[in-house]
Amino acid sequence: MKEKHVPGKRYGMIIDLDKCTGCGTCTIACAAENNVSVRSDESDKERSITWMELFKITNGKEFPHTEVCYFPRPCMHCEEDGRGHHQPSCVSVCVATATKLDHNTGIVSQVYTRCIGCRYCQAACPYKARYFNWWDAYFPKGKGLERYLSPEVSPRMRGVVEKCTFCHHRLMRAKNLAYAEERRELEEDEYITACAEACPAQAITFGDLNNPKHRVSQLIKSPYAFRLLERLNTKPKVYYLSNKDWVRKLADNYLPGEFEKIMKLSG
Amino acid sequence: MDSPLLPEGVKRCSTKAFFLWTLPWLGLLAWGGLSAFLCLWKGLNQTNMSNIFAFALWIVFDLAVIALGAGAFFTGFLTYIIGKKELKNVINAAVIIGFICYSGAIAMLGIDIGQPIRGWFIFWHANIHSMLVEVSFCITCYLMVLAIEFVPIILGNRQLSKIRELNIFGHNLHETMAVFAATGTFLSFFHQGSLGGMFGVLYARPFAARDGFFIWPWTFFLFILSAIAAGPCFTILCTKLTEKLSRKKLVPDNAIQLLAKISAFLLSLYMVLKIADTLGWIYGVVPRAGLKFIDFYQEGPYGVWLVVCEIIIFGIAPAIILLVPKARQHDGWLIAACLMTCMGIVLNRFVFIVVTLAIPVMPFDRFWGYLPTWQEWGIAMAVIGYGFLLFSAAYRYLPLFPKERELNPVTE
Amino acid sequence: MELNRRNFIKFVVGGAAGIQMTPLPWKLTDDIAIWTQNWPWVPVPPVGEFTHVKSICNLCPGGCGIEVRKVDKRAVKIEGRTDYPVNPGGICPLGMGGLQLLYNESIRFTRPMKRVGPRGSGKFMDITWEEALNILAARISTLRKNGSPEALAAVDGNPIRSTMSLLIERLFKAIGSPNYVRIPTIEDTFGMASLLMQGTDGPMACDLENADYILSFGSGLSNTASKADQWVAAKPGTEAALALGLCHVIIKEGLYDTRFVNDHCFGFNDWSSANGKDHIGFKTMVLDSYSPDKAGQITGLAPGDIVSLAKEFAGAKAPVAICGKGKGALNGSLYEFMAVNSLNALVGNINRPGGVLVRDPLPLNPLPEVELDEIALQGLEKPRLDLAGSMKHPFTHSLINNFTKAIIDSSRSLVDTLLVFSANPVHTIPDGGSFRKALKKIPFIVSFSPFQDETAYMADLILPDHTYLEKTEDFIWPAGLQYPLYGLSQPVVEPIYNTKNTGDVILDLAKRIGASIGSAFPWSRFEEVLKERVKGLFDSAGGLVDHDGSTPAWQRQKEGGELNPDYKSFEEMWKKIKSTGLWYRPVHTYKTREVLFKTPTGKFEFFSSKIELAVNALSEKGSLDTALCDMAISGKGDEVFMPHYETTKYDADRSVYPLLMMPYEMINLASGWVPTPPFLNKSLFDTQLRGDESFFEINPGTAADYNLKQGDRAIIKSPEGKVRARANLSEGAMPDIIYMPLGFGHTAYDEFLQGKGVNPNDIVCAGKDPLSGLPVWWNTPVRLIKL
Ligand SMILES: Nc1nc2c(c(=O)[nH]1)N[C@H]1C(S)=C(S)[C@@H](COP(=O)(O)OP(=O)(O)OC[C@H]3O[C@@H](n4cnc5c(=O)[nH]c(N)nc54)[C@H](O)[C@@H]3O)O[C@H]1N2
Ligand SMILES: Nc1nc2c(c(=O)[nH]1)N[C@H]1C(S)=C(S)[C@@H](COP(=O)(O)OP(=O)(O)OC[C@H]3O[C@@H](n4cnc5c(=O)[nH]c(N)nc54)[C@H](O)[C@@H]3O)O[C@H]1N2
Ligand code: SF4
Ligand code: SF4
Ligand code: SF4
Ligand code: SF4
Ligand code: SF4
Ligand SMILES: [Mo]
Repeated sequence: MKEKHVPGKRYGMIIDLDKCTGCGTCTIACAAENNVSVRSDESDKERSITWMELFKITNGKEFPHTEVCYFPRPCMHCEEDGRGHHQPSCVSVCVATATKLDHNTGIVSQVYTRCIGCRYCQAACPYKARYFNWWDAYFPKGKGLERYLSPEVSPRMRGVVEKCTFCHHRLMRAKNLAYAEERRELEEDEYITACAEACPAQAITFGDLNNPKHRVSQLIKSPYAFRLLERLNTKPKVYYLSNKDWVRKLADNYLPGEFEKIMKLSG
Repeated sequence: MDSPLLPEGVKRCSTKAFFLWTLPWLGLLAWGGLSAFLCLWKGLNQTNMSNIFAFALWIVFDLAVIALGAGAFFTGFLTYIIGKKELKNVINAAVIIGFICYSGAIAMLGIDIGQPIRGWFIFWHANIHSMLVEVSFCITCYLMVLAIEFVPIILGNRQLSKIRELNIFGHNLHETMAVFAATGTFLSFFHQGSLGGMFGVLYARPFAARDGFFIWPWTFFLFILSAIAAGPCFTILCTKLTEKLSRKKLVPDNAIQLLAKISAFLLSLYMVLKIADTLGWIYGVVPRAGLKFIDFYQEGPYGVWLVVCEIIIFGIAPAIILLVPKARQHDGWLIAACLMTCMGIVLNRFVFIVVTLAIPVMPFDRFWGYLPTWQEWGIAMAVIGYGFLLFSAAYRYLPLFPKERELNPVTE
Repeated sequence: MELNRRNFIKFVVGGAAGIQMTPLPWKLTDDIAIWTQNWPWVPVPPVGEFTHVKSICNLCPGGCGIEVRKVDKRAVKIEGRTDYPVNPGGICPLGMGGLQLLYNESIRFTRPMKRVGPRGSGKFMDITWEEALNILAARISTLRKNGSPEALAAVDGNPIRSTMSLLIERLFKAIGSPNYVRIPTIEDTFGMASLLMQGTDGPMACDLENADYILSFGSGLSNTASKADQWVAAKPGTEAALALGLCHVIIKEGLYDTRFVNDHCFGFNDWSSANGKDHIGFKTMVLDSYSPDKAGQITGLAPGDIVSLAKEFAGAKAPVAICGKGKGALNGSLYEFMAVNSLNALVGNINRPGGVLVRDPLPLNPLPEVELDEIALQGLEKPRLDLAGSMKHPFTHSLINNFTKAIIDSSRSLVDTLLVFSANPVHTIPDGGSFRKALKKIPFIVSFSPFQDETAYMADLILPDHTYLEKTEDFIWPAGLQYPLYGLSQPVVEPIYNTKNTGDVILDLAKRIGASIGSAFPWSRFEEVLKERVKGLFDSAGGLVDHDGSTPAWQRQKEGGELNPDYKSFEEMWKKIKSTGLWYRPVHTYKTREVLFKTPTGKFEFFSSKIELAVNALSEKGSLDTALCDMAISGKGDEVFMPHYETTKYDADRSVYPLLMMPYEMINLASGWVPTPPFLNKSLFDTQLRGDESFFEINPGTAADYNLKQGDRAIIKSPEGKVRARANLSEGAMPDIIYMPLGFGHTAYDEFLQGKGVNPNDIVCAGKDPLSGLPVWWNTPVRLIKL
């Protein structure tokens, strides 16, 4: 059955870095929700899979003036590739059309069964949001760990790339429920991502950026809202909030004299 | 022992000597075979590639051999389309070098992708926006063209040419060679360009990103130009190496000099454009990304020396040598210049692949390093072993150099 | 056929087209596409009916509400509940990883077992529950028959006041052993501080919601501390001096709440006792001894910072000072907590919105008195091995370090049989590895752990509990919560192995021991005990059994709405609690300060009468000096009875061990008795764990002294031992302090945890916290040897 999409949705997210405690629940919630495989050595950050990856940044000052901020990074669900094409960097390069931007939802999908594992998309993504399965999913016999796997998300085979999907299956779940109740529109809270739901600091807000009633579209209007590497023009749909100047400054590259213009914000 | 198979009227080493000569190359192949088996059986965890270094040694090798193999199509183009008759003396060698490079590259690519048996999805679910699709289509088609170009050479073998049907077949193929050369040229131009395009379109990676013309970033054109400048150099190197090893003159000087002259001209043009491109990048792409040129060369082993090497030592210097007739007529200088040109091209491909990926894009991310595993080296070395083997066999059994007999009359 | 050019082309084109016409290539490509997507070793999660079960997480004392998503019988995801007041929607990393504990067979005990190989070899033999319980019952009966019931000991890690811990304590009472030892937590220290100053042994809570200025006496740059209003970085162990330094400024500048201090506090001003003895008050002591200069010297902070901080604090409308160490899995320092509490009292912030709340215990029914037989009576007369509650440590309930020491120091086996409940002391007790040594001297060890932890590995008998997702148990007013709350978990899945709820096992065991012990446990199922206690909540009248996250009760109440209980009978209430997992009163009841304090003076005591009584009592047996020495107090005169700063006494030679090592808890690493779910490894930075090596944090300046660069390896050596770790240079680290995370260094479990990193507890050289006698685990003198 072909589903008819209600057009004009642009799902997006805003993460309040001033609220984020860097606890990592979002990373774990994401892994648990999306059947992300866990290996015995996850400390090899070049090869471990964390769709929602946590970065730690500091203002570089000496004790006791050190400030720390944590930076959770899902896939940005970019809308452009940096040169004005209406496709994210990863999508325009993918050889097998295994990743696509859905213009009805704004979600950048990843089709594992079509991905050939060429990893060109990884080279193209500036946010390191894509992860290759260097190994087979680790579910050794005798542990029974595969018993917690969710049937809503297919476990991946070795040799393909995966990444955050904005918990696309949750959208499907919500829609199916809505259709069953003969509704066409989803309420704001009916579709939220696993990371946003789990965050104990309620630092993550998810919703439709096109819907002015959704909190996310109000929050991104804050003068303290910004996107990671905004000037690359990838047009991410993941926003951040922080009223710390050094944090906002670190989120992008600035040539001498450039940042001062927007620094006045915090007065 | 295998003398009936050898071309008529030329001298070849003994079977035993030839066998011994093949041993090291067979060794490399065995190493590669084991590596390939491990990578296919256990997966790409056998390499040191990572989510940072999604492309690594193999892609560097791929791009390098494809650039160096450009001698094939370009010599074909000059021979059959432009009509430079003197190049008929090197065309066979050029075709085989091309065949080796392209087939080697495709074999490596087959191992490099995570799901090799889904490789054909590139064609089946092709994304026409992807430069890599363009590359894949063109390389695959061009390899077929090369194979077709290879066939008449094989059929030129002393025993095979005795079979009448094959002889006619070979002859017919030969007649149509201009068509294939034209197709090959077209395909090659595109995939050489697309290989450059692959990196130039990484718009979100300021180190590789380039402005350009229509859908093609400048790297598209630079890669073509650098490949056709380096390809002939590599052909020269290979023939010179064969000459040195067989202690014979195989190709008349005029053919070599013509290639060198063309290469000199193209390399010079390439250097002018490359410098322009670099300046355009420094003053356009880089500040637009909020960066300064020097920001890219702060960490790790990759400093400004890369730029100096690529442009001055391995670019301008060989261009000058090749431009000066006196210099390029001197064997030592010629070989040195060709070597430098080839190294420059390999360095260029290395920079676009490995350095691009090593430099973090996110401002708070750190610099990453990468060293290949023995399995990765194995696959890469196997291509070299395979190249030596195939080329030696071709030299031994096929009439590779039409002027060989003329230049080396058998005296007894 | 003549092979000419025309035919040649025909042949090639025709051949190519011909192959396409056959079904072969299409069939093959289709097959390949399918194969590559269905590797037999890639698991395919079975589909089924989706359901949700609400329960409570018990992986830490937080007791968050969870909702578990199930597919048929399998639990596939744990989510936070929005209809549970403790954690509106979110949960922590540990709770999120819970299913990996439930389903990881290689770290669980799946059935009762007894040891067959040498101790610690991990060789066990399956036995039936019947056999297992009979073995234990017989052993206990024999001890009693021999008149030495006190040789049975327990180490219990169940949350304080939980029915489970009550039941275990009751069992010990009935059997006649005083040696029921608990794992120390922050609650012990809070409880004592509250008892001594406010007169109630209840937990303290801070009303952060209504506070407008939160002053956190953090000892580190913790994840959460980075979000506090003020992060005060005093040298570890000097927080009391900082708090008193702030008091000094507040008193001197007259910024304190005079009405509260005058009307409701005791011991602020100088005073004379009934016998005419003059005493200095808190005011004099603080003004004399804790000037910003002095406090600055002790704490390493700038005096100016202390002054401005004090003014900011006192100037806020609803300021609150909070203390604690890390996640609270370990105890704190008693005088320090009292000092911080004094700060709250000075600004009058006791039991009012935005302040420290003095709580009454939940009105749960007490269990009927135990009738003790002769053996039990005699056994209970025997002194506790850990001396808790003795005259030396009159306010402390349990002192596990003393317990360990007593066993190690004795030539005979003081403990014959040790029962371990919900605890893994071998790994979690900061004792430099002493507990492991003590275990070797205990002839028979019984573990009730569902997990194959380090302690269970040493056991002789395994009676595995269900995991928290397979059983019903209660949560009594989680730590720090401002309002009374009772939580009840329910089995989310049917028990997947042959395990039993330890509550039921205790009831069964008591019956098997028989006699007065059997009759002390008249219930047939653990759930009946829970229900009997909850009846008290019903009888107390009021309280809600469900929560609506979108319009919380306190909001409805603020808006003048009625908060009537939504049940008529106790049965109805119990049924509802079982499904919602919850009973609570949405707001704290602010009792008037006249009846609030249960201290001997009826006031908030800066000068603790209880300490005075205790010290005097002990002095009568010898001298004041020996009494203070026994209580590990180094203070002099009246300050002994008041919050004051005591310099840490080190046994170690500080010239040999010039640095201090401070263990810290990480939010994304389980440091208690529960193993860390593998998912959490994903959230660790590679500057915390890399391969099998963990890191210590060190200030770059200190690192430079030792010529250490990022990632360098070093030995951290204390008088108790040494560990090897890598350096993580961190600007946020205090100079001369080495920070080591708790939760690494397991020798048990599977490849996700075993052998990863080192456990700082192994080198902790725990001193004694003055008065409480609890371990001082937060600053061990160490030296660093670069490798
Ligand atoms: N069961 C339970 N769980 C809880 C809580 C609870 O009460 N009970 N409380 C929650 C709360 S309030 C908190 S704060 C968290 C605690 O958990 P976290 O927020 O993780 O804080 P910490 O455990 O103090 O330390 C984590 C980080 O602090 C750093 N570290 C610690 N001390 C220092 C220092 O002095 N200098 C430097 N440079 N680094 C240091 C380390 O770099 C480490 O990365 O746990 C939360 N979870
Ligand atoms: N010495 C020392 N001191 C420390 C630290 C240390 O490491 N060492 N750590 C410091 C740190 S990092 C922290 S954060 C503090 C922790 O100290 P606390 O802040 O006391 O610990 P929390 O558990 O975070 O307390 C938050 C309170 O809010 C309640 N709460 C949760 N949700 C709600 C809600 O929706 N409404 C209401 N009304 N209440 C709610 C919780 O139940 C809890 O009572 O301690 C600090 N103090
Ligand atoms: S769960 Fe929330 S607070 Fe924790 S790291 Fe993620 S965003 Fe930050
Ligand atoms: S963040 Fe990366 S993976 Fe995600 S849409 Fe953008 S380019 Fe693609
Ligand atoms: S790795 Fe997969 S998703 Fe990425 S470009 Fe290649 S085929 Fe597309
Ligand atoms: S949106 Fe979903 S998939 Fe993406 S990071 Fe969050 S939980 Fe993971
Ligand atoms: S471990 Fe503690 S804080 Fe985490 S979810 Fe469970 S109860 Fe809540
Ligand atoms: Mo905290």
